[in-house]
Amino acid sequence: MSSHFLLLLLFALFVSTVFAVLLRDDARSQLRFGGMLFGSFVLSAIVLGWLMYPFPL
Amino acid sequence: MRVREATVERTQSAIPALVCLAAWAVPGLGHLWFGRRFKGLVFLVALPLMFCTGLWLEGQLFPFEPSQPLVALAALADVGIGGTYLAAKALGYGGGNVVAVTYEYGNAFLIVAGLLNLLVVIDAWDIALGRK
Repeated sequence: MSSHFLLLLLFALFVSTVFAVLLRDDARSQLRFGGMLFGSFVLSAIVLGWLMYPFPL
Repeated sequence: MRVREATVERTQSAIPALVCLAAWAVPGLGHLWFGRRFKGLVFLVALPLMFCTGLWLEGQLFPFEPSQPLVALAALADVGIGGTYLAAKALGYGGGNVVAVTYEYGNAFLIVAGLLNLLVVIDAWDIALGRK
């Protein structure tokens, strides 16, 4: 698997799952916090990607 | 009397240390120890799986190189996953393939899995001390 976006999703999934389970105690808040974290990871990566778009490698 | 108190104190402090050692060796074992089954099982599955994904993406288990501080820090982070790291090393995995397109992704997965397990160990330490 060499899709950057899929690897980003996989990484965000692992990290947000561990953080949500570690920092929240009941299932509902774990789900809410994990979802928010996952969304933030993906959204910030897309925003940063577009911000870096004009810069050459 | 003071010696006896000191012995009791040592014994009590040995238990959190033992819990931390177990939590480091097997991700989630510290939480399972205290009956937090859901948390323990999630860590037990997610962290080694993340580490193995890093190996599958041809990431490298960095050597302890004191002359290169960043490499040494990455090695320290890799070791954070405990038994999984030792097993991977023993089986000859983690050589890394620098020219693979996923090499840097693999490194990120390996390093972050180790660092997350260290956070889990600290959480187990807090539970053992009755702070959580």
